[in-house]
Amino acid sequence: MSKLCWTCLSRLFLKYYDYIFPEYDDLYCKYCFVYGQDWAPTAGLEEGISQITSKSQDARRALVWNFPIDVTFKSTNPYGWPQIVLSVYGPDVFGNDVVRGYGAVHVPLSPGRHKKTIPMFVPESTSKLQKFTSWFMGRRPEYTDPKVVAQGEGREVTRVRSQGFVTLLFNVVTKDMRKLGYDTGPPDTQGVSGPSPPQGLPR
Amino acid sequence: MAEVHVIGQIMGATGFSESSLLCKWGVHTGAAWKLLSGVREGQTQVDTPQIGDMAYWSHPIDLHFATKGLQGWPRLHLQVWSQDSFGRCQLAGYGFCHVPSSPGTHQLDCPTWRPLGSWREQLARAFVGGGPQLLHGDAIYSGADRYRLHTTSGGTVHLELSLLLRHFDRYGVEC
Repeated sequence: MSKLCWTCLSRLFLKYYDYIFPEYDDLYCKYCFVYGQDWAPTAGLEEGISQITSKSQDARRALVWNFPIDVTFKSTNPYGWPQIVLSVYGPDVFGNDVVRGYGAVHVPLSPGRHKKTIPMFVPESTSKLQKFTSWFMGRRPEYTDPKVVAQGEGREVTRVRSQGFVTLLFNVVTKDMRKLGYDTGPPDTQGVSGPSPPQGLPR
Repeated sequence: MAEVHVIGQIMGATGFSESSLLCKWGVHTGAAWKLLSGVREGQTQVDTPQIGDMAYWSHPIDLHFATKGLQGWPRLHLQVWSQDSFGRCQLAGYGFCHVPSSPGTHQLDCPTWRPLGSWREQLARAFVGGGPQLLHGDAIYSGADRYRLHTTSGGTVHLELSLLLRHFDRYGVEC
């Protein structure tokens, strides 16, 4: 029996993300997508860098990027579902660019609007001496390839410190999942506060 | 054959008295289930939280099962350990939860427990560390021989799992 080749598209709009990092300021964020072998991006940019943002002067002390992301993937298999990997960087006391956090989350499976707040963590120095040296020289421990954050293997030897959160807003559209027999469950649109899509646009 | 995709994360843990936690996880299934893609077990990073008391792992889980029957639905078993500054690991809790059976995204809170031991062992654990551990991990997810254990409760592990089911309606199964 011949196997039909099928595509499953997921279009993702990231409306904004803002950031809660009590100790740090002047931050920018890089994003990229990690996916399995059966997946391929068909449209949109897979990676990018945001602007540098500073904390607001009011009581919220909010860090806002409001960075748009619009990407489409196709696949023959849900295994290896795409994950978005974020790396946040900021200046230290000496002005060097150091990493402030890595984080990753799967793109939601069901169509609709989803708001996710993901924790961000940095690798820890192995000894106090190394911690001081890296603070002084401005070369903190970081991952050579941030995509390792989206994988499970090899993590057991890493020690990290979680120190902040990033909020993402996803709008997901899928194509042909039901036709191929996949059941993603009820669309779980959470109540989201914030700007809503204009009237008349299809979900 | 029906297929099940489990895609999600072990987000983190709260309620443990120790910080610097890591989690060893594994998935156990019955005989009718076959793992087509994904790793069946793993270990997260060690996290020391700076804000609040929740340790965050964000460990991805991506499993693809094919099954001929419903018995032996996948069970996720967890062991939470704490690591001290010398690199020694001490057991913080065992726990398990069934992978959800309905499609969609689920937030799971898995409570944990650890064996208590005699008063001597409890005292030793408080001062020196260590403490009793299970010889075989099966007791975490099976009910047999549990009556022999005297345990105390640990913290809670938080997971977010999304389930994708395929061809279940062909076999008349309602989820």
